[in-house]
Amino acid sequence: MNPALAAIAAVTISGAVLAVSARDVRATQLGLLVVLLEAPLIADPWPDPLSILARIAATLLAVRLIAIGLRGADATAGTRIGWPAEALVAAAAAVIGFGSHGLGAAGLGPAEAQATGFALLVLAVAPLFTGRDVLRLAVGALLLLVGASSIRVGLDPAPSQGEHLVNALLTIAIGGAIAVIATAARAAGGLDAIDIGRPGEAVRRPPDAHRVAEPPPASEPRPASRRAPRRTPTPSAPSPGAPAPGAPAGSRQPGRPAPPRRPSEPG
Amino acid sequence: MSMLPFLVVAAISGTASLLVRSRRGWSTSCAVTGLVLMAVTSASIEPSAAIRIGGTILASSEWLRLYALLGSVVGLLLVAVDASAMHEPDVPGIVVLGLGAAVLALALPDPGIAVVAATAGGLAGILVAAPVGAAARAAFVGVRELRALAIAGALAIVATAWLARPTDDLVAVPAVFGLAYLAFAIAVAIRFGAIPFHLWAARVADAAPGVALPLLMAWGPAAFAAVALVWIDQSVAPLALPLGNERSLIATIGAVGVVLGIVAAWIQDDLEHVVGYTIAADAGFVVLGLAGLDPAVWEPSRTWLLVFVVGRSAFAAWVVAVHGGFGTRRLPELAGWARRAPGLALALVVIAVAAVGWPGLIAWQARADLAHLALPDAFAVLVTIAPLALVAIYGRILWIGIRPIEHAVRAGRGERPGWPAPWPRRPMVGSGTIERLFERSSHAFAGLLDVLWALPAATWLNRMPLASIAVLLLAGLAFAVSDGGMGVPQAARAVPVIGEPGPGAELSPSPRASSVATPATTPVITFQPIGGSASPSADGPASPETGGSASPRASGSSKP
Repeated sequence: MNPALAAIAAVTISGAVLAVSARDVRATQLGLLVVLLEAPLIADPWPDPLSILARIAATLLAVRLIAIGLRGADATAGTRIGWPAEALVAAAAAVIGFGSHGLGAAGLGPAEAQATGFALLVLAVAPLFTGRDVLRLAVGALLLLVGASSIRVGLDPAPSQGEHLVNALLTIAIGGAIAVIATAARAAGGLDAIDIGRPGEAVRRPPDAHRVAEPPPASEPRPASRRAPRRTPTPSAPSPGAPAPGAPAGSRQPGRPAPPRRPSEPG
Repeated sequence: MSMLPFLVVAAISGTASLLVRSRRGWSTSCAVTGLVLMAVTSASIEPSAAIRIGGTILASSEWLRLYALLGSVVGLLLVAVDASAMHEPDVPGIVVLGLGAAVLALALPDPGIAVVAATAGGLAGILVAAPVGAAARAAFVGVRELRALAIAGALAIVATAWLARPTDDLVAVPAVFGLAYLAFAIAVAIRFGAIPFHLWAARVADAAPGVALPLLMAWGPAAFAAVALVWIDQSVAPLALPLGNERSLIATIGAVGVVLGIVAAWIQDDLEHVVGYTIAADAGFVVLGLAGLDPAVWEPSRTWLLVFVVGRSAFAAWVVAVHGGFGTRRLPELAGWARRAPGLALALVVIAVAAVGWPGLIAWQARADLAHLALPDAFAVLVTIAPLALVAIYGRILWIGIRPIEHAVRAGRGERPGWPAPWPRRPMVGSGTIERLFERSSHAFAGLLDVLWALPAATWLNRMPLASIAVLLLAGLAFAVSDGGMGVPQAARAVPVIGEPGPGAELSPSPRASSVATPATTPVITFQPIGGSASPSADGPASPETGGSASPRASGSSKP
């Protein structure tokens, strides 16, 4: 065992435990930052400075995007079993990953990377499949991908510079995706975007999300400029009314969508 | 030329398009410029060109060149249809970036890195699946898509990593190979939203803009599936292990996806759902291609990938044009659409012919080969003829279109071209010769300005016929590809040759030579030396003198 790699792996797993168990979104972001910064360093040999710089830059950009998406958000549901239980589960998974290094054949990378990968995968499962707010689900998705990449590092030779570059692109993409989802959720009222109802109660499926279609404009074309010749407006056929609430997706809905209501606004 | 210029143009123009997203016109202009440049650069890609970046090779091939070219042209036409019909925000930039990521994934010979690139490209699509300002469930739809992409990506990353080493020890445990093979195949099915992994895709089909559906559900996953084909051919098929159970399961998923996808598309009233489920049905054939470990599956799989993505892009563009023209996607409200949009009716007929095909057509033949290589004969025949049911789907849409016009269609835009305003009358009032001369000159200049100022308004007024023209072009392209035009069979058959930068040639991932009889139309692949032609030759087996080697192994039976 390489003590330095083991220490980095421990810090990475601690960051993942913090990300999945914290209720404060800032703590969650800190946990993600630690995971994304430390996971690429669990390699033997270490990545060259250029690769490390690329990964750090990608991580900072991704976490910055997430922070923008979560600006003003306070708390998530957090874990239901508490951080000690999450930490113990992660430790158990790490031990299994360390002990099964290579998964049936000789592993070409460090065993610590596989241990980290197993721990991150196990930590990702609960938020990914039982998370009820979009941030926890997204954190689970991120940990799943980082865990899979760590397992790859443990099984195969050390990644090349090009692979680090592609992984950096993946980091930025997932950070941007989480930011977009968080922004959309908060614009719609909060991170708890999933209505599961009470236990035993039939879940009613809300109307599907889709952009509100603008009505086809009347026969009057948009003038190109003040100089453009204009036609005298002619009365057009009355447009059909808006469908009743609950109308199926794709029906006519004239008018632009109302601006999203901020959570702080009354009503 | 390598594909590096293509990737650079895609990265710059896609990023620029998203950076100026608040100005929709500028955003679209950046994307259109990028797509034009991408089409030009993709046309100049040499099939054997390669470049090394940071220890990783980016290699092109004939199929990759055609994928990039078709993707750029189709993306350009999709953006044109979108701009004239709906003009959704962010879509042009996402089309450019998604296409660039897919080409990057296809250019990476190492499947382990390629799946990471393909996953990153898929994540970009979330920007249009969870738009700010849409309904409350948009975030839910986006996070479900994120979850599906993450699961598929993680499965593929672990599967490729597991078998990327010397596998001498693993051969003693064949279940490992079966597990990895199954994991990657299921990852492909999840990415496509193939039934039974379709729940997230169905929601995305409803939430995402229609013009982005081909990228989210066809072009990106097709690149993922192409990587899976290479990986299976490299890492699983050569071992000739008894993977009957795994192959049966994958073939079942594919066959069920084809049949149930068509049934689901038939019962939908929302046209975007029809598009989504027809994509899921077509993706079933891709999954069937993964179930066949025979090398003969290489050509029909890659043929079908191109046929399917172009055909479904044309159908999605048709739906966007109808939605933009009549303000609704629901079939019951679209009675009489064909009477007001005969161009779109013609386009739908062409799309239907390209999608259904007939025995002998390249598309039909590819589907039949995939089904027969993966399924027992009786089921293969059933799955092969299942797409005939698409006639009922397209026929239903057309039947609704020729019924008497109802309110929504009457109030919508038609295809009849128009001019924004009548020409103003300018009577001559001058009395003297010089005065009348000046007056005529003034009127001529004013008339020219009238025309120039009215052109944008005329374009705006005629956006429905313009969208119809773009859809017709896409439908024609879909038919040409289905018929084997643009060199699709040759590209699907050709084996990529990686020109190793520097001394020492390295052959790319390639299909193995088959011990079974190949169709007469499939020539024996001969590897060419670096810098030579990558085109296949039909004059005999591979020979060492040509600088390459044939596949090391041959496989056995193809039936699970």
